[in-house]
Amino acid sequence: MTSAPASVHACSVLHVDMDAFFAAVEVRDDPSLAGKPVIVGGSGTRGVVASCTYEARAFGIRSAMSSVEARRRCPEALFVSGRYWRYAEVSAELHEVLRGFTPVVEPIGLDEAFLDVRGAIRLLGEPVVIARSLRAEVRRRLSLDCSVGAARNKLLAKLASEAAKPVATARGPRPGPGVVVVAPEDELSFLHPLPVRALWGVGPSTAARLTGIGVVTVGDLAAVPPDTLCRLLGNAQGRHLAGLAVADDARPVVAEREAKSIGHEETFARDLHDHESLHPILVRMADAVGERLREAGLRARTVTVKIRFADRATITRSHSLAAPTASLRVLRAVAGELLASVDVGPGIRLLGVAGSALTGGSDSRQLTFDEVGEPGSPDAPARDPGEAAEGRGQGAPRPASEASWQEVEAALAAVRARYGQSAVGAASLVGPGGLAVKRRGDTQWGPSAEGVAPGPADARTPGRGEPTGPDG
Amino acid sequence: MKFRCERDTLVDALTTASRAVTSRGATTTSLNGIRVEVAGNRLSVVGTDLDLTVRVEGEAIGLDDGVLVAPARLAADIVRALEPGAVTVEGGEDEVEISAARSRFVVRTYPVEDFPVLPEPRDDQVSLPSAVLAEALRQVVRAASGDDARPLLTGVLVAAEGEGTRFVATDSYRLALRDVAGTGPLPAGTEQILVPARALTELQRLLPGGGKDDTAKEVGFSVGELDATFSVDGVRLTTRLLDGRFPDYRQLIPPGYPNQLRVAKEGLIDALRRVRLLVRDNTTPVRLTMRSGTVELTVVSQEVGHASEDVDAQYEGEELTVAFNPTYLLDGVEAVLGDEVLLETLDATKPATVRSPEHDDYRYLLMPVRVS
Repeated sequence: MTSAPASVHACSVLHVDMDAFFAAVEVRDDPSLAGKPVIVGGSGTRGVVASCTYEARAFGIRSAMSSVEARRRCPEALFVSGRYWRYAEVSAELHEVLRGFTPVVEPIGLDEAFLDVRGAIRLLGEPVVIARSLRAEVRRRLSLDCSVGAARNKLLAKLASEAAKPVATARGPRPGPGVVVVAPEDELSFLHPLPVRALWGVGPSTAARLTGIGVVTVGDLAAVPPDTLCRLLGNAQGRHLAGLAVADDARPVVAEREAKSIGHEETFARDLHDHESLHPILVRMADAVGERLREAGLRARTVTVKIRFADRATITRSHSLAAPTASLRVLRAVAGELLASVDVGPGIRLLGVAGSALTGGSDSRQLTFDEVGEPGSPDAPARDPGEAAEGRGQGAPRPASEASWQEVEAALAAVRARYGQSAVGAASLVGPGGLAVKRRGDTQWGPSAEGVAPGPADARTPGRGEPTGPDG
Repeated sequence: MKFRCERDTLVDALTTASRAVTSRGATTTSLNGIRVEVAGNRLSVVGTDLDLTVRVEGEAIGLDDGVLVAPARLAADIVRALEPGAVTVEGGEDEVEISAARSRFVVRTYPVEDFPVLPEPRDDQVSLPSAVLAEALRQVVRAASGDDARPLLTGVLVAAEGEGTRFVATDSYRLALRDVAGTGPLPAGTEQILVPARALTELQRLLPGGGKDDTAKEVGFSVGELDATFSVDGVRLTTRLLDGRFPDYRQLIPPGYPNQLRVAKEGLIDALRRVRLLVRDNTTPVRLTMRSGTVELTVVSQEVGHASEDVDAQYEGEELTVAFNPTYLLDGVEAVLGDEVLLETLDATKPATVRSPEHDDYRYLLMPVRVS
């Protein structure tokens, strides 16, 4: 192999960023949306834009904008409620493609990743070659577009992928370069004309302070003595920005770490005030957490319930178990107790359930007295209603032992794996619309406009792979 | 109000009473407060979170009768930090001045009328020998649950049992049961009460071996409809009683055990502590393999390594391996009185019992850990 200039090899950090990811997945799955302003997000009054097509961006619509504002800017925009599980599927395919190039892939959310391709150069060629073939491979395997930036570090690679993006115009999206490489000798000329807002860690308030001392571009920032920055922004941030301004970013690409917690949460279309309507939702979320724990071969020792009240005050209630669990029954019971301890009268806007302190490995399990009285035990206890009222634990009605529950849950998991999430579930989740099933990220961005009280009745979430029609 | 007293007396009173003051964000600010009253030369300091109330009575040089409610933790911190010697406390309109030597603190107080009105203690007290109570509590309170999600299990059952009194606690993984001879402290007509373990933990601090030097011989005890009061050495601890039926623990106790392991207590404790060094999370069990003449303790910790130790023992029964949470097992073995302990087992999934081979007034039931 002919030796390329060392400077090109130095650009071994790649940033891959899918173009309008969620919206692009929707358009791909439903070609009738192609070429239209499509917004993925909550269409209700509390919804936000999660993603939108370049056609929608031409109207000034951006991610994280409120849906109300988006609709004002473009009344004809088509709202699609998010199908997070679908994006997660596509994302998994994406990461599989990326790992085909190098094992050192650091995913950032579903649609972005950093790659360190140093180890792949010998085999696959210079970073720019890898970047191009990576982009082609994503196109071929996923029928989706991405932009790739290649540079010496993460900061520059991310800015480079931004520069590689298509541009929204009134006459439709104009394709971008797709791949942008920032060679070491070009770093400052690339970086310095950019606005300071482009840098990580520069939000509106920092930007305002910097504007106050006449700093608008990164180049302006590089001209400010680091001491002055430290005085203005504090030591840590001052030094951090002074470094970034001269393209100094030492953070390595770190391959994916293990999940620290597994959880689900849901924002309701209207505030819920009673345990009767909250409980089935909680059960659904606890089940979803349990399923994901099981899939990942993990168990959680701590169960947390998150509650956001109507006034947006948010509390969490946690409980640590003596032994980690993936049991739906235990998760439901613990989450149920935690929720029951909260006064929901003021109105609940969001509810979440998460499992943390995750462990895998050993299958040992602390038995409890609740399990005494298995068949063969001479004095299987007859439970009286007074005790049952105590709820989980000693008093919980318990026709079967913990061991047989585990077998039941394993069997249920197998049924769901084969026939789908809605095939079987808790009786309390069945309503007129069938079985309500919580999917990861169902209402990430706020509930749908017509979303009534969540619960069995809103089990109209489309099945896997089905396109969602515009509902706005 | 105004009084003067020794710093150490005041520190003691403030610290003891403020242990009842809730640490988890009280609903009213005055619950973060501690009530200090002086009448003549009697000083009384009261802290409460409504569930638990601690009232400390002591001597002071009263200069002016009165009452104030000060922020509990701050007041205790200030007085503790003062130089040894006399401390003068003087309450004003809405502040209190605490001074000693050349230090002077002025701290805002809470409205006295916001402090909860607490029930006056009853006078129908019975006396308990404090050493017996201390021993029973040490043996039983450890098995109570710390988990507020199961309120009844955070209590210790005190029940009339035959000629004596029985103390029982369980967190559903283990159960400790102690019988105390004597007609017991329960008033006639009351069969059982459920006392929050938290209150008993505080009571333990006031009893012999609980950290205080001057130990009282007797503990006064009275039970009301909703609460119970313990009096020790000028400290009165009143706790709300838990309301509900304690689980029926009797059906958990197996009628007999086919396997009996008899072993020297200290040797077993030492061995358990050694092998427990490899336990990295509380899901790792210790396995006890029991066979004639010996018990082998094994800990296998996936990421760390493994350890084993043989302990001499007398064993009657078939060869058997049972796994336990090592901390729960140690809790039980340490609670047994005497030089030897008896571990009785049915099989690897049924409750085992830890007790003394001589006495059966204490029993510690423990559920195994199932390993697969």
